[in-house]
This record gives sequence, C-alpha cells and structure tokens, in this order.
Amino acid sequence: MSSWAPLALTTVTAALLAVPVAPALYELWKREDAAPLPTSRHDGRIANFADVFRSRLEPLRPRLERCRAQLEISRARVDGIEVLLVGCNAEDFDFDPSLVQGIAAVMFSRAALIPAGRVVDADIYADAALELEEGAALRAAVGRSDITLGKDSGVLRWLHADGGIYLRRGSSAYGRLSAGQSIRMEPGCGFQRMHAPSILTVDAGQDGDCVSVPSTAHVCETSEDAQHLPADRGEVFASSRPRLRVKGNFVLAPGETLNANVITTGELQFGAGARLFGSVKSYRGAELEEGSCVHGSIVCGGTLRLGPRSFVTGPIMAEGDVLVARGCRVGEPDALTTISSSGTQIAPGCQLHGTVWARVRGSVED
Amino acid sequence: MLLVLFRVTVLLICIYTVRHYFFTLNRLFGRQRHPYVDVDSADWPAITILIAAHNEEAVVADILKALLEVDYPRDRLTIIPVNDRSTDRTREIIDAFVAQHPFIEPFHRSGGKPGKAAALKDAMARVNTEVVLIFDADYIPGKALIRQLVAPFFDPEVGAVMGRVVPLNVGKKCLTRLLDLERSGGYQVDQQARMNLHMVPQYGGTVAGVRKSALDEIGGWNENALAEDTDLTYRLLLAGWKTVYENRAECYEEVPERWPVRVRQIMRWAKGHNQAMTRYIVPTAKRDGLSWVERIDGVFLLGVYVMGPALLLGWSLAVVLFYTGAQIGGGLAVLALGAFTTLGNFAAFFEIGAAARLDGSRQRIRLLPLTLFGFTVSLISVSRAAWQQAHESFFGSADLVWHKTERSRTAPVLEEHLARTAPVLEESV
Repeated sequence: MSSWAPLALTTVTAALLAVPVAPALYELWKREDAAPLPTSRHDGRIANFADVFRSRLEPLRPRLERCRAQLEISRARVDGIEVLLVGCNAEDFDFDPSLVQGIAAVMFSRAALIPAGRVVDADIYADAALELEEGAALRAAVGRSDITLGKDSGVLRWLHADGGIYLRRGSSAYGRLSAGQSIRMEPGCGFQRMHAPSILTVDAGQDGDCVSVPSTAHVCETSEDAQHLPADRGEVFASSRPRLRVKGNFVLAPGETLNANVITTGELQFGAGARLFGSVKSYRGAELEEGSCVHGSIVCGGTLRLGPRSFVTGPIMAEGDVLVARGCRVGEPDALTTISSSGTQIAPGCQLHGTVWARVRGSVED
Repeated sequence: MLLVLFRVTVLLICIYTVRHYFFTLNRLFGRQRHPYVDVDSADWPAITILIAAHNEEAVVADILKALLEVDYPRDRLTIIPVNDRSTDRTREIIDAFVAQHPFIEPFHRSGGKPGKAAALKDAMARVNTEVVLIFDADYIPGKALIRQLVAPFFDPEVGAVMGRVVPLNVGKKCLTRLLDLERSGGYQVDQQARMNLHMVPQYGGTVAGVRKSALDEIGGWNENALAEDTDLTYRLLLAGWKTVYENRAECYEEVPERWPVRVRQIMRWAKGHNQAMTRYIVPTAKRDGLSWVERIDGVFLLGVYVMGPALLLGWSLAVVLFYTGAQIGGGLAVLALGAFTTLGNFAAFFEIGAAARLDGSRQRIRLLPLTLFGFTVSLISVSRAAWQQAHESFFGSADLVWHKTERSRTAPVLEEHLARTAPVLEESV
C-alpha cells in the first residue's frame, strides 16, 4: 500500500465532511445576507401607499403648474418613473394610447375623468376631483378633492381622496380605500380594506350629502335611566369591571343591561335592546338583536350578526364574517374604531367610523 | 430498569420531534391566525411603558428616542424607565431625556431585591393604567409597534401579549448569525404556530404587554422567579387569562456576541424554565377550564429545557445498553436509530429552515448546518444548568442569582439603523 493512501483517505473524508458546510462557510465569509431582517417602519395607516406616491410626485408640482397655465400635456421623469403631466381640461384628454405608452403615473392639474369602459394601467394623481365613468378601471389613484367611482367601475390596488369617495352601485375597490372625510357606498359595492372618519352605506341614487342614517343613541342611553348606568360605562378598559366567564352559550335577555366583560366558550346572543357596558368575547358565533348596544369591543370566533339599529363603540374582531343590518352604527365620529373579519356584508343605511377590513371580501348588500 | 429509562427517553424525543414538525407544517400550510393585527383605529387606552434598565448607558438612549417617535396618542402614553441600581451613566442619560420630555417619568431604584422581576414589581406601584408594556433597554421599537401590542387587549380574555424579537446585530459574529436563525425559528414558527392552534404562546418578558388587573389578580410579579416571563405565562393561564402572540409586532434587540455570554444566558433561561416546570406542570395538566390542547402544549412547553439532558442521557444509555448486550428490538430500535443518528431529531433544524423561508431570507439559510454547533453548545449548557439545579435541590445552595445579559453595543445605533431601512412602498394588502 502506498504511503500516500492514508493521507488520500483522510483528505477525501475531510472533503466529504466539508461539503455540507461549504455553503455555510461561504456565507460566513461573504456575508451576503447578514443584515437584520427588515421590520415594518410605517405606522400601519391605510393611506400610506397614497402618501408615498404623492411624495414621490411632489418634485413635479411646479411643472404641473406650468402645464396647467399653458393647458398643455408633457412628459417628465421622477424617481425612476415616467410621468405624464396633464394641464388641459378633462374632456380634452382621452388617454390616447400613444400618449400613455410606458407611462407609470398621470398627474392631472384639474378635475380628471376616466372615460366609460376605459382601463388605465398608470397610477393617477388628481389635483382636483376624479371621476371614473361606468365600467372604467384603474390600478391606483390619489385625489386632493372628491373621487367618484361610477357604476360597475373598479380600482385594483389603492384609492385615496383627501375629501370624500362615492362608490356607485356595483363598483369595487380592491386593496386599500381611504378618505380624509367620508366614504359613501351604494348597494352591490365591494371592498377589502377601507378607512374614513365616516363610512356610510346608502340606497342607490340617494344623494350622498343628505344621507339619513337612523340615530341609535337613544336606544343605548336614555335620560331617565342614565343615572342607573355604571359611572365608568364609557371606559372600555375600566379595571374595576368584573369578568364573567361562561362555559357554553350566553344570552343577555331583551332590554337587560350588564356591566361586565363577558367571555363565553359557546354562542353569544343579545336580545333586542340589551346593553352591555364592557367587552365581550365568544369562541363561536354571536348575534346582537335589534337595538342592542355594546359599549366595548366584540371578539368573535365565528360569524357575528349585528341586528338592525344596533350599536358598538369598540373594535370588532371576528374570525368569521360580520353581517351588519340596516341602521347599525359602529364607532363614533370622535372615537374611530375597527371592524376586522374574514368577510363583511353591510346593509344600506349603516354608519361606520374608522376602519373596515374584510380579509377576503366586503360588500354592501344589494 | 435502564431499558425502561431508555425507552422513556426515546419516547420523549419522539414526542418533541412530532411537536416540532407539527408546528412547522402548520406554519407552512395551516390556517394562520392574526386576529388583532387589523386593528388600526380605536379609542386607544392610556398605557404605561416600563423600560427595564440596569447599567444600560450604551443602549438606553436608543430606546427612549425610538419611543418618542411611536405612533400612539401622546396624552395616553407614560414612559417609565426603570433604572435599577445602575452604577454607570444610565441615570444621567435618562434624566437628560426627562428634562426635555416631561411625560417620561423615571423610576431610579437604588435599593431592594436585585433582578428584573423585583424592579418591575416596585415600578408597578407607579402605574395607573390598565395596560402596561415592557421593554428591555436594548430594544428598539418601531413606529407602529405600540399600537400592535395594545390592540390584543381589546380582547377581554387577553392577559398578556408577546411581540416578535428580531436581532439587530446579526452580521457581527458567527454566533449572532446563528442566534438570528434560532430566533426566527422560535418566533416565526414556534410562537405563531401555537397562536394558530389556540395553544399557549409564551410571554417573553420584553416586547410584551400585560393587563394590570390580570397581574394584580395573580399577585403581581414573582420576584423569586428566575424566568419571570415563563412564570407569568403560567400563572395567567391558570387564572383563566390568555397570552397571545403578535408576529407582526416586531422589535429589534441585541443578541449576545460572545459565547460565554450566550452560555450564561441560556443557562439562566433553562434554570428559570425548569423552576417554572416544577411549579406549574401538575397544575397545568389538571386545571379545569383549560382546553386539552392548552394542557398538552402547556406541559410540553414547560419541558423543553429538560430535553437537553434527556438527549444526553439517552445517548449514554444507548452506549451502556449496547455494551451490556441489552435487546433493543422492534420499532423502538428504529425510533432509537432515527433519534440518535440525527442528533436527537432534525425537526428543530427543519423549523429554522422554514422560518428563514417565511422571512424571505435567501442566503442566510446556507448557515443552517452551523446551527448544529449552536445546538451542541445549548445542549451542554442546559444540561449543565439542569445538573446544577438538581444538585442544589438535593444539597441546598445560595439564593437564586439573576445575571444580566452583557451588552455589546458601545454607542447609540438608531440613526444608522433607520437610515439603512427603506420605507415600505407597497406590500400585500
């Protein structure tokens, strides 16, 4: 046997053992992926995409003003994207394919109009109102005034208006939908995640400025019984509130008032006009019948049904669907809240304040 | 007798193997539960943030700066840096912040029992809010983190909340890179799977929150606990409160950069966890009102640090039984072979690999074979800790001593770090 044999054997064995760790040693040496994992730095606001888009286009504002003054259309490049600046009136700009070819964003200095049936790939910035006519669709848009989505129109990624947003019958806003003032939706509209100080579902054709949603305040607290209610009724996190754990179903009888945090392993049911001052959790489904109130949050492991004219002040977190009947109110104008669910169906005539997030699909009942 | 012991050991290893695989498969293919992550609008409650600080001059400025930037109503936020008997410039740095920001209310603790739990217990006397968040001084919270940690408290059953810890000093040493992978496995897979499956996510003591009324109900912080976090998780569980995990409530931390520091850290964790095990394993198994899933997971979670010595014992027994000619036949032999030829099992490594994939880490997965080295160090350390505890329980010992983990940071890093992290442009909705 050659004297080299043991050395060769040792070398081959060492090489075989080194093979599995070779990539590891390479990575240690090269440090190609040695940065900390990125964590989210943004604050979670729904309007973040719109804000980032707006700030990217901000350097082009002086040019947009010049276009507006001269009623002209020009191209510009900012932050690596091609932008079309439209200074003319909406009716003079028809998204001619030769103009929008290769364009990532369009900035309108005046009111903008997406013609009926037109599909626009570019993101839209409108310095004034924006309207999508029937059947039109676009990827994303931000408007400094109001935005109207015509019948059966759609937005695929995000939409933000500093003023109000009106979704006409059958229109859909996938992704994020946010407004500085209000969102109004007609029957048949679809959404996923939306936020506004005021979200109203209205009957088709109802003028958005004179929406009538029945008040629920009287259902929850009348002047004659206010003195009997708990002093900390407005405080969701009152530490003095008792905790009631129920094994099985829990029913609060019609008209009854309870001051407690309730946790039930079964179904939860509030009779008509029942009131709870505290938060409630159900491992399964929950139903609030007509005119019932929860001055606190609702956590639900199944489907939550809010009966007509019921009222909830705190966040609603459902692992199933949330079905909101006519005349319901969730949150208050000065105390916004969140509805989070797998799917949300809202009847016309409801008033919500804050965020509604349907992870699969939300809709306004048709 | 030895054969019975060997069989029990192999069975335990197999159970923990299944547990790891089950968690990993759940994370990869199961239904994910993030019930509180969508809450971005609410009438946010007043909260208090406690920052546990003991000789933290190198890091305390970073966390205070980060907390000044958080997106939470300022009038509902009280920050209490709990300066626990520091002998360095920690007090001076905190007071400089207080001079500019009066809503920071420092608690300079000069005496009393040492240890984080004891310091927090004293600090709680100054807390007037129902929700309390706790951070160690080397953590750097992001802008939305506070709301993410508070949101679960709208659930009336939640007593404590745990966020995800992400190492900041990843690229420093081989050790920090291994710990980065290990943390990913622990949080991204282990904790989230337990959340998905309605089991027992663990309160980790930092990047965490606790409901004051729940804490009061169980008698406050246990200053005799070496691992006050595990202790709290189980006392809350036994009192009918839930601990929940928020995977997207991410916060940077500094991990040990030297092996001796790491060994001391994991020995402290092991001792604390084992101490909790002796206290709570029987009550958890017997407690009415807990689901069977919670009971099983609760018991196995308590036993995780016993598996190190169990594995060493199993290997030793295998050698002894082999040379004494014992008959290890049938399925047991197959299980034993599987268990011992793969260093216990590969489930933990599978878990880490899955976590790296879920995090979108492309290249760091190459380091996976080196985790074997970290695994071996941990195995020996936790076994040594268990041995010391067993020895102390038979022969008595000095009082429990709480060792603070040594910091490697020598100067504030916040600006440098923030400059490196790009803002989010678009993400999935």
